[in-house]
Amino acid sequence: MTTPDTATRTRPPTRGRRLPGDVDMWVMILGDLFIFGGYFVTYMVFRAVSTEEFTAAQRHLSVGIGVTNTVVLLTSSLFAALAVIAVREGALRNAQRLLWATGACGALFTLIKAYEWHAEISRGYTISDEFFSFYYVLTGVHLVHVAFGLIFLGVAVRELRNPRRRRPAIVEQSVLFWHMIDLLWVVIFALLYLMR
Amino acid sequence: MTDTATTVTEDGPGKPARPERAGKREVWLFYWAFSIFYTALSVGICLLGRATPPPRPDVDALQATAWFDQHQWGIQVGFVFLLVIAGGAAISNGMIGYFMMRMSSGRTLAYAYIASMGVGAIPGFQLLLVCWLTATFRPDREPRILYLLYDLGMLSYNGSLGCFTAAYTVMALAILYDKNRIFPKWFAYVTIWQIVTEIMATQMWLYNSGAFAWNGVITLYIAVVVFGVWIICFLALFRIAARRETAQTPALYEPEGAR
Amino acid sequence: MTTSTDRDFTKDKRTVLIVWAALSAATILAWLLTPGESQTATTLGKELVAAIVVLGLIKCRLIIHYFMEVRHAPRWLQATTDGWLVVLWLTLLIIYLV
Repeated sequence: MTTPDTATRTRPPTRGRRLPGDVDMWVMILGDLFIFGGYFVTYMVFRAVSTEEFTAAQRHLSVGIGVTNTVVLLTSSLFAALAVIAVREGALRNAQRLLWATGACGALFTLIKAYEWHAEISRGYTISDEFFSFYYVLTGVHLVHVAFGLIFLGVAVRELRNPRRRRPAIVEQSVLFWHMIDLLWVVIFALLYLMR
Repeated sequence: MTDTATTVTEDGPGKPARPERAGKREVWLFYWAFSIFYTALSVGICLLGRATPPPRPDVDALQATAWFDQHQWGIQVGFVFLLVIAGGAAISNGMIGYFMMRMSSGRTLAYAYIASMGVGAIPGFQLLLVCWLTATFRPDREPRILYLLYDLGMLSYNGSLGCFTAAYTVMALAILYDKNRIFPKWFAYVTIWQIVTEIMATQMWLYNSGAFAWNGVITLYIAVVVFGVWIICFLALFRIAARRETAQTPALYEPEGAR
Repeated sequence: MTTSTDRDFTKDKRTVLIVWAALSAATILAWLLTPGESQTATTLGKELVAAIVVLGLIKCRLIIHYFMEVRHAPRWLQATTDGWLVVLWLTLLIIYLV
């Protein structure tokens, strides 16, 4: 299936400066970063207005779960980055496996998040508390992005399975989006769990 | 209509086989109708009707009644005017549908877009007009009824999302699948932001104040900025797409097997 | 303008692995820095928050530069992402502290 000499066929044969993915995906990523930046600053402003209440509510979050989720997502990003290198090497089978591993970590992240939501809600921390309303919205909109990311990963896997397609750029784009999810989570983790 | 021997594909060299169109003047006409409609909409909603930026969500019945009283003339003039030109939304949707049908992603998505936007205009636009017009033309009704109209108008206007998310999803899909490159791919992603801000807007049903109320920073102001970026990009891309249409661009509806 | 070799790929993989290890270590370090739920202090010390912010900024930059491969990207992209990082984290820190 996989030809070992695809290094010349795949797109990035040079080591010079080049744009990873394509401009379109970077429009998406940069725009998303600025939109989320707006959400984060808004959260911080509301927190500054009622610091005491926010700090007290933040203590009900389990930092352990947050750390676990961060490491799960970081690991998924590791698999994704390795998948891109595998595509460049021409090891397409391997790349597919790595993308599956990325998606599995994403699904695991979602499961842990669902468990955490369930635990918080059953302990009575609902949107009646201002901090928790931010918590549910920020993690929720992040989860929506995880769902989009899983779809994009699926597109990349489909691309690799089809012998007539296999455009490395598609894999790069979906992996870029996945890294953005990771990046945003790192900020959310610091904001909600650590800065209290 | 199965006589494919006489049909010519869009990219084929033999285009002049069909009678030439008059420079796509209609496309430009509709482009301007589209722009003027959106300008009129902004003036009517923002300056006269005062729905954006919105009134306060955390008032009581008497304050809502007083607010209607204070803005009676603006709402009546602006919203009656908007009710008259409400059909402009159909022209805009048809215009977008026209370009979506030029995409290689198929007509179904274009029809789905037109349909979901058409249905979405009822809660997202008409209902606001009708509620607030009722409130200002029947000021003698009980304050609590006017209060309901106040809430109903705003929640329907900003908080109704199903049709719009469907329309944006369909549009993003159409652009991503399109091989004719009618719209650039990045615009599909910008459309995806619109889906996300629409989902955020659900929160305004739950809150009367704060960042997630209907005048909240997250549910409204960031969403308005994203929508502004979207509509500006959209109008610019429209110009480009309309300019690319020449007299030789084949018509959409004849002959049927051409696409 | 040389073609990528197997050696380059091995190096890339090693880099990515090291970055992942560093990111995970930084996450756990931040965990150890924050006091547990039992502690009664209302807010964290300023130095601690500054440390969390610096760690967060470093983590973000590692992800952007090594995972998203911005280190090989054109300068405009590097400038934009770095600008976003610095402005965001500085704003967050300042709002937290005032």
